[in-house]
Amino acid sequence: MLEVPMIQTRGFRNREPGEGFEVRLRLPYYRGLWTNLIEGAAITVDSETFAADGIGWSIDGVEYSLAQLRSSETARWPVDVPAILRVPRSEPLPIGFHDVRADLRLRMSYIPEELQPTIWSEQRRLVITR
Amino acid sequence: MTPQFQYGVSLYSYTGEYGVTSTLDDCIEDVADLGATGLEILGEAHVAGYPTPSAAWIDAWFARLERYGLTPTCYGSWVDTRRFLGRAMTVDEAVWQLETDIRLAATLGFRYVRPKLGVVTSDLEPDPVWEPATERVLDLAAEKGVVICPEIHWPSVIRSKVVDDYIAFIERTGTQHFGLLMDTGVFQTKMHHRTGGVASRLGEGSARPPEVPVVPVSDLEDVLDHVVHVQAKFYEIDDELIDHYIPWAELLQIIVRRGWSGYLSSEYEGDYGIGRAADQLRRQHALIRRLAATL
Repeated sequence: MLEVPMIQTRGFRNREPGEGFEVRLRLPYYRGLWTNLIEGAAITVDSETFAADGIGWSIDGVEYSLAQLRSSETARWPVDVPAILRVPRSEPLPIGFHDVRADLRLRMSYIPEELQPTIWSEQRRLVITR
Repeated sequence: MTPQFQYGVSLYSYTGEYGVTSTLDDCIEDVADLGATGLEILGEAHVAGYPTPSAAWIDAWFARLERYGLTPTCYGSWVDTRRFLGRAMTVDEAVWQLETDIRLAATLGFRYVRPKLGVVTSDLEPDPVWEPATERVLDLAAEKGVVICPEIHWPSVIRSKVVDDYIAFIERTGTQHFGLLMDTGVFQTKMHHRTGGVASRLGEGSARPPEVPVVPVSDLEDVLDHVVHVQAKFYEIDDELIDHYIPWAELLQIIVRRGWSGYLSSEYEGDYGIGRAADQLRRQHALIRRLAATL
């Protein structure tokens, strides 16, 4: 089972030295999506913002760049499978508390274009342990 | 008069709980427990491995229906016409999407497929691709025994070009495999602003959804012969079992007097909160059953 917030406690961790960190997002929508409809997710940690274009995704064990998500003919983001976002950063995040914010943009076809994309924003205080 | 309609629930009601606090089995058990017999799902939400679930998943699906005594009603699908950035969806792509969902819905025993169509105007006119694409899948729908039913959903109104075009399509093609799905949110007498859940906003700019006049329930009379399924959308039933948003008594009077025999498939879209859907669905069914007993 997942946590109610979009930003998940589990999965927030530093990667190998020089590779940045990971954070998991639950799809805060009511159905799974063709990944073409993902416009991207910007991540902010302690007021340091990482643009959506540079963030790698992993869904159900398959890795994608944002461009690959947008162009895939078959990739899906199921509603009950969290996406792992891989955020590049030269230094690891220090052990301890971090204010993590995610701004996720998804494109809905059935909402008038002037009201799109739909943007989910959330901030949580998470702990990184290593 | 004896009501002819039947009671169902859409698993959409459990949004925010499905996959978070509840498994698919929990949700389906809840539908049966509250006394409904019809089960509505969203293909892209509730079918693991969509659009190609495993044989084991399909076996488990039918085992559940059997165990809980439920009948599949409507299968919600989408034609995401903005799927490919910077270009419109082609007719072939829309046909592929419709065929994929019609086949899967039929495999799972559903009789109705509701494609949520991409729109091209503020008042929700569907992308023109809908008409040639739907026409091309009518034979498949007939072969699979499925009726395709786009939904009339707030802020659409019944007296609109959108509805006129759907009815013209039925008349022009003479098909038995296309109808209307009526979402009762169309008849809301005031706006409900959903609370809880992850905060979201529509668009980067200042555009806001349109102001929509209250649609008289009597407008339903004009189109009811084409309505094959009702999503009994609701937002909040209070502690006195009163709904301050959807005029159920008026709706039921028409539905019962006309002998309409489809499913009222409850669709809770009120505030998010753990356990809220299960409680609110029971309140709505109690409200409707009480009213129906007086007609």
